[in-house]
Amino acid sequence: MGSTPREDDFATRRESVRGLSDRELHARFWELAERIVAPLVEEARTHTSPSIERSVLLRMGFGSAEAKALVARMDEAGLLGHGAGRLLLELSERRGIGVREAGLALLEGLHWDELEGAGGGER
Amino acid sequence: MKLTPDERLDLREVLRDLEHYRPRRKGWSWRRRRPDHALGPFVYADASEDLTRSVPLPAAHSFGGIDPQCDVVVTTEIASGRFEDDLRRMRMAAWHGADHLMVIRTTGQSHFDGLIEGTPEGVGGIPITRKQIRATRKALDAVEDEIGRPIDFHSYVSGLAGPEMAVLFAEEGVNGAHQDPQYNVLYRNINMHRSFVEAAEAKRVLADGGLLQIDGAHNANATAKEAWKVTPELLVQHAVNTAFSRAAGLPPERIALSTVPPTAPPAPKLRLDLPYAVALRRVFAGYRFRAQQNTRYIESDVREATVTHVLDTLISRLTSADIQSTITPDEGRNIPWHYNNVAGVETARQTLMGLDGLDQLVALREDGPLDGQAREIVERAVLFLEEIEASGGYYAAVAEGRFVDSGHYPERAGDGIARDPEGGVGAGVVRRRAPGYGAPVCSHFGHNVYAEEGGTKPCASYGGCTLCDPTKIRYVDELDTEDSVERRLEKPLGERAAGLLRPEVEKAGDGVVCVTLFLPERPAVARAAALELARRMGLREPEVIHARLLHPAEGSVFEVKGILDEAVRVADLPVAEPEERLAHAEIEAFVRPRNLHVVAATVGEDEHSVGMQEILDIKHGGIERYGFRCHYLGTSVTLDALLDAVERHDARVVLISTIVTHHDVHRENMRRLHALAAERGLRERLVLVAGGTQVTDAMAREAGLDAGFGRGTTGQDVASFVVRRLDPDRSG
Repeated sequence: MGSTPREDDFATRRESVRGLSDRELHARFWELAERIVAPLVEEARTHTSPSIERSVLLRMGFGSAEAKALVARMDEAGLLGHGAGRLLLELSERRGIGVREAGLALLEGLHWDELEGAGGGER
Repeated sequence: MKLTPDERLDLREVLRDLEHYRPRRKGWSWRRRRPDHALGPFVYADASEDLTRSVPLPAAHSFGGIDPQCDVVVTTEIASGRFEDDLRRMRMAAWHGADHLMVIRTTGQSHFDGLIEGTPEGVGGIPITRKQIRATRKALDAVEDEIGRPIDFHSYVSGLAGPEMAVLFAEEGVNGAHQDPQYNVLYRNINMHRSFVEAAEAKRVLADGGLLQIDGAHNANATAKEAWKVTPELLVQHAVNTAFSRAAGLPPERIALSTVPPTAPPAPKLRLDLPYAVALRRVFAGYRFRAQQNTRYIESDVREATVTHVLDTLISRLTSADIQSTITPDEGRNIPWHYNNVAGVETARQTLMGLDGLDQLVALREDGPLDGQAREIVERAVLFLEEIEASGGYYAAVAEGRFVDSGHYPERAGDGIARDPEGGVGAGVVRRRAPGYGAPVCSHFGHNVYAEEGGTKPCASYGGCTLCDPTKIRYVDELDTEDSVERRLEKPLGERAAGLLRPEVEKAGDGVVCVTLFLPERPAVARAAALELARRMGLREPEVIHARLLHPAEGSVFEVKGILDEAVRVADLPVAEPEERLAHAEIEAFVRPRNLHVVAATVGEDEHSVGMQEILDIKHGGIERYGFRCHYLGTSVTLDALLDAVERHDARVVLISTIVTHHDVHRENMRRLHALAAERGLRERLVLVAGGTQVTDAMAREAGLDAGFGRGTTGQDVASFVVRRLDPDRSG
């Protein structure tokens, strides 16, 4: 299951770092760490998930069960990439109702057709 | 809600009107240091502000009852399964110096994809819910006022639903959280894309909410086959989470590295653990250190665990720690019991106060092996990072099983944990954000068309999100009223209201007790005997929770737990409320002008004199200090000789010391003293007092004396009694 077994070859492998001062060694440690996490950070910046979207709806004043139902339905409809919060906010603005009312209406099965294509372009 | 020290926590009051309870502060609190803090006869170098109420360490009474508080935050972890019982335990722990209360989650919550509501019962921890957090925060706010120090409340933002947990914590005034996506990946087999994407959102919420984050690297110590070999990987795990946290917005002063000294004796602990502790603090200078104690090598022996934890705490002082976490000494054998949380906290504070000012006395040697060993750990970690990068990055390295390998890197045993980047629990739910993606809320990470611009909050267009306007938070009380705190409290609170009392270790009324038995037999026989004797004591479901061989043939000692299914009626108990002592000055003011003579002796054929001297001698804080004229006649004194001395000195007080014997000689001595004094016509004007380790007040009074004093008595106790008896203004 793990990687291939290997003897402790530290004595030879350390040659690449042996000559570094402590300061240089620590700098190298942090350079590597930041390079390793950079693609992970970029993925996080450009992606979302149902839990993230539910956390957005919690912050917009929905209960946990409400947020769960709304996000699940939006994901089924392939809309989650627009952001659950944006879909709701735009619906509320279009219909001139509050954000919470818009969410409750969606929970009752109303206005889903109006979400299609919403949040398309840059704002 | 206000607490009174002599009243139990009113759980129904805690649960009242939670819908409208708001935390009164948010974010993490450190202790307020007090350099050169003078307390009693000492000046402390590493102390913080005193508490207004506390239970001092046991030996404190010899130093004027001082209770110095160390300068670092002290953690205890609590996990009974019922949060209502945890609240009482938290209050007790806070009185003993804990100010970081960490709540363990119920088994399975990390795999629950969403928030749980209400107060269902948990297993090995509790379901973290809004109602539970609110009730806990409310109780802790009251405990803070009672003890006079802020308490940090802490739980977990890991597993599935991390972003939602983080929002919940920020909304409800939780002060600290564990957050480390590597924990999900390596130990919970949660999909790694999801774990990192969600971690960034969660960390951003923690950052803005002022919470302290603790990482998860300590889990590698706990799971490793040979914990001292994982030190290079520990640096790597700390680095991955730290660098990722910085990118998500957490400031270094709120990123705490969870670090555990990896070994325990008989391993040469300091030689192995100190280089790692030093290396970590060098590479991560500027971050915070949460020093945890070892769990990997503790077993059922609480004494052994305690010694290991003292050494762990010594390493904290030899290097540095911002938080000293504690492990209960019974963690190796059961879910921790109330009094073991307190025991763990006491181990840390006793050690830390004993080591006060250590850095002024000793320094780590720079010319010994330490420096090179610390450097080697960092070099190994750098090589590990290089290999991750060469593998194609973090995900690829995990897929190749490079983490949690039991080899000492670069050695590989081939037993690491490999995970499929596209697999695991909760895979396949990460979605790419569209160019127009928007989240009109505060504390959101990443691409967002509503990103804060020119001071306008993302949530401004609809009047604010819950982080700005908490009145918008949706509070859910209970989803299942059967599995709820109100239902669970009916029986224990009903029994208490009826005046019944049961023993407990974990949950109200659990009836669990623990007895210690030594049996002089070979282990198998001795164990069977211990269980049988526990049954005969009336304990249900007896279980050996600790056995220690003393000698293969001479015997073993056992700790046996069982359920004592008995409730006592409080009103029927012969409760002897201890009489309050008079103040020193008050006693002296009565005694000194009256020239009162005291005749004292150890009676019968008894050569013990130490106890009596402690009561008499000024050197031991005895009654001489108040001006009593004491005549100590020695040991094995006859009663006639004693009363002769009374007459000679015109004494008003007689103190006899006696050991309790099988043949009731002690009772006979007391009875005869009373009778002989009466015969001589002295009884009326004399105060007759008996003392001894097993003497009780009831026993002495039954024999005709005025009082009896047992173990733990001080001169002040005896003098207070005598003054009350002799002073006509006080008697009656």
